[in-house]
Amino acid sequence: MIEGADEKHVREVCERFGERIKRVERIAQNQWLLLVDKNDVREVVSYVINRKDWGETQLSTMVGTDERPIRGRFSIIYWLSLNGGEGDVFIGVKAYLREEDLSYPSVTPEHPGASWYEREVHDLLGIEPEDHPDLRRLVLPDDWPYGVYPLRKDFDYTDSPRREFTEEDKYPYRKPPEGTVVHPLGPYHVALDEPGHFRLFVRGEEIVDVDYRLFYQHRGIEKIAERRLTYDQVNFIAERICGICGSSHAVAYAQAIETAGGIEVPERAAYIRTVMLEIERLHSHILNLGLACHDAGFDTAFMHAFRIREPVMWLAERLTGNRKTYGMVLVGGARRDFLDYRKGLIEKTLKRLKEEFREWVDSTLSTGTFVKRCEGVGVLSYRDAKRWSSVGPWARASGRNIDVRRDHPYAAYRDLDFKVPVYREGDVLARCMVRAEEVFESIWIIEQALDQMPGGDILADYREIPARKEALGYVEAPRGEDVHYVMTGDENTLYRWRVRASTYNNFPSLPDALRGNTIADAPLIIASMDPCYSCTERLQVVDVNTGRVTVVKEEELVRGCCRWE
Amino acid sequence: MALWEIIVPVSLVLTIAPILDGMGRKVKAKVQMRQGPPILQTWYDLTSLLSMEPILPTDGLSFRLAPYVALASAVAAATVLPYGGLSPLRFSGDFFVFLYVVAMVSIAYIVAGFSLPNTYTNAGANREMMMVLSIEPVLGVAIGILAINSHSLCLSYMPLHLHASPSIFLAIGLLAYAVYVEGGFVPFDAAEAETEILEGTLCEYSGRLLGVFKWALMVKRFVLLWLLGSFIVLPLTKGFPGWAVFLLQLTAVLAIYFAVVTVEAHNARLRIDQAIRMNTKVFLASLVVLLIASLGW
Amino acid sequence: MGVTLRYPFVSIEAPPEYRGVPHIDPELCIGCGACVNACPPDALMRIDDLKNGTREIVLDIGRCIRCARCEEVCPTGAVKMTGRFEVASLDRRDHVEVVRLRLVRCEACGEYTDYTERQVVKALQILPEEEYDAEEIKAYSRICRRCRRKLSALGAIEASRRFAP
Repeated sequence: MIEGADEKHVREVCERFGERIKRVERIAQNQWLLLVDKNDVREVVSYVINRKDWGETQLSTMVGTDERPIRGRFSIIYWLSLNGGEGDVFIGVKAYLREEDLSYPSVTPEHPGASWYEREVHDLLGIEPEDHPDLRRLVLPDDWPYGVYPLRKDFDYTDSPRREFTEEDKYPYRKPPEGTVVHPLGPYHVALDEPGHFRLFVRGEEIVDVDYRLFYQHRGIEKIAERRLTYDQVNFIAERICGICGSSHAVAYAQAIETAGGIEVPERAAYIRTVMLEIERLHSHILNLGLACHDAGFDTAFMHAFRIREPVMWLAERLTGNRKTYGMVLVGGARRDFLDYRKGLIEKTLKRLKEEFREWVDSTLSTGTFVKRCEGVGVLSYRDAKRWSSVGPWARASGRNIDVRRDHPYAAYRDLDFKVPVYREGDVLARCMVRAEEVFESIWIIEQALDQMPGGDILADYREIPARKEALGYVEAPRGEDVHYVMTGDENTLYRWRVRASTYNNFPSLPDALRGNTIADAPLIIASMDPCYSCTERLQVVDVNTGRVTVVKEEELVRGCCRWE
Repeated sequence: MALWEIIVPVSLVLTIAPILDGMGRKVKAKVQMRQGPPILQTWYDLTSLLSMEPILPTDGLSFRLAPYVALASAVAAATVLPYGGLSPLRFSGDFFVFLYVVAMVSIAYIVAGFSLPNTYTNAGANREMMMVLSIEPVLGVAIGILAINSHSLCLSYMPLHLHASPSIFLAIGLLAYAVYVEGGFVPFDAAEAETEILEGTLCEYSGRLLGVFKWALMVKRFVLLWLLGSFIVLPLTKGFPGWAVFLLQLTAVLAIYFAVVTVEAHNARLRIDQAIRMNTKVFLASLVVLLIASLGW
Repeated sequence: MGVTLRYPFVSIEAPPEYRGVPHIDPELCIGCGACVNACPPDALMRIDDLKNGTREIVLDIGRCIRCARCEEVCPTGAVKMTGRFEVASLDRRDHVEVVRLRLVRCEACGEYTDYTERQVVKALQILPEEEYDAEEIKAYSRICRRCRRKLSALGAIEASRRFAP
């Protein structure tokens, strides 16, 4: 047996591949790192993902790192997780790549869920996955120069390279299939909350196929954090990755650092985090349910959803000081304590919410026209959900029994009791049902957490976190599994931070859900995924002069305006 | 026939239609527990749109003419209806004219939608076409039954000469359904679905042209509601003075509109295929009613 | 029973816990720059003018993300979050708050040091008296780092001379 393989599943992988696993390292309680040759990556990853008897295996994230300043090489890690009662295990399959030869066999042909990850490292680090079926640009804009890789360490975050943009550089969208026309949806469309461009290839009103271009919302978050922020400052920028599930990102990030640095979070802080995460789920789910109604033309339900959601926002404001960006999380714990009067406030709000939301659900689901619009629409099969490593309510509505809170307990979830609703239909209605049930579960979780909340400190102190430690932090965000990977650097700064928001794993499966439906249903189906574009699209180069953050595009914009004049 | 007999009702319809829309918005706001805009908001919107120069996406004449054709048709439909004791244009067979001009509004919408290479306007036009084809027959059959019953083809004569029978009540019900669907109220607003196809044909319109088009659609709605209101009020108010009948008509239209808006607020939009299926079923039912009526019941 | 308020025609008061726009009390600020170091979005800046002997602590609300870290780390309680949230203005300059403080002039060389007069006062205040010779520290506090290094080197030489002539 290889040293370090002290867990059943890890041992099995090691036994299966024998000598080809060069090293096993247990980097945290539930995280193992297996070092393999780059040519073995595909085989090891697909072995774990495709083990039928291991339940809901999942590609949780994949990280490419420029480790040249430390080890003179690039590295890639595929992080796989075992879910659904199989055990609390994350397996990282790591391989080093030499700068002279950055190619390695792509995992995508075996597991399509790896597609985006590999396109991203291709864009940002210049790593070449071989036999990848679709290596078009994913992250970088069309006018970004070729051969410039922003995540490499020799690329400074103040650089903003430019290139003359020509007709040929336009994004190579797929040609519409025979007999179809392109129905463009977005980047600006009433039903899309954020920019995303979909090309629906339609025959009449039926969607035959879909192509998309995203990542309009790149910001410099990962790069900026790696260069100029301290651990505590990153919490706040992590929170601003997303406009809805910010707290999830902040907690995931803090947990990653805490795992890497071996920091014990006080129990009370864990409970406070749990309550805030669930409050976030409440308002996120109610928002999404409301939007689904809006997209189906049911404005009254939409308005009422927002009306009953508002007290939750007010509650968050009273608890944290702000309705959305809570700023509650620091590495090591929480910033504000729940005083007694706030506890009463929570109870009061929840009681009212429970009644109003039950009423809302009853009246909405008894509206025939709404149910008609949702039933059997936008079906994502279990096979597709699994094949794309989908997460969250989107996956649970298609029969995937996964939930990070239960499968990899963090914060206080180990002590709390809750159900994980799973539906098999895979349609828009099932997703709405999952969300509605989760709202009630969240209320129940908060009630328990308030009951059991222990006393004591809320913030642990830490001095210095050793460099070159790797760890994962994970949270079940309202939209699903949200994974942060960190590698620590010198002087309390990050060496590498990889944020994988939930939507990142769900988006690639969207075409499967859209195919065969009509353009009337497209906005509803997209909304039922609860997409979060800016979460997914974290990274871009920003111009930082004296700390000023300007998006690269600004000059383009000015130039464009001048031309127009 | 004096000129004022046409000018007064027409200007009345043109003025009231946007106010009615404003009232609908207020009612909807109350259902949704909002404050809602002032009742004259639709008027304000309209006047500001009418004062704005449109941006034209095409040089095509049909695109520019369509809003005016739609408005003219909707106004024309208004002229054959009875207003209290007054019927601006009445002649035997105006019932067919009414059906034609109401359909003309939709046809203008469809032609405008197809005059552009835009999948959104095309989808809107396409949906409107399907909708009109599936609902106009119902409207025709419903009024047809009333015509058979009253032995008349004149819209202002018909309601006064109905005699009670089961088929009449069914016909009024069918008429109500047809008015609802033809008026493009939720759940039958697929042709102008904002969140799906960005209001279909209207998404390429702007400024004055948009204002005229919106006005036309509002007038059309009002005319349809007035038709339904007249068929309910006039048979019950035989012998009343003209102004009283007119006020009752207005009240009935308001009542019907508020009911419609409330139904609207409690529904999601049907997909076009679902709406068509429903219309087809109603059409088949209307044929049965027609059979009953022709038997004299 | 609408739930919409006629904002902005009615005023809305933020709850007491609300983190609004931060404000620096110029009376209390000692210019230590703790807030500058903690601020994630660089909304706070420290600008030293060594020629004229001033330090400016600049707070730019336009960049501020209302995280209240500055309030947490401030040693004198000069930075406080207010309940204010309406900050729209036609003038960018309305968003900027500047606290100007005097730097200490070195008594030895006459150059300006990189700490303020108030920092010295504060440092002397929180000094645990029993452990240090307050007078000596007070004298040292008005001398710049370079001169201080020079003085201690000279002192060491002096001392070594005394023990090993």
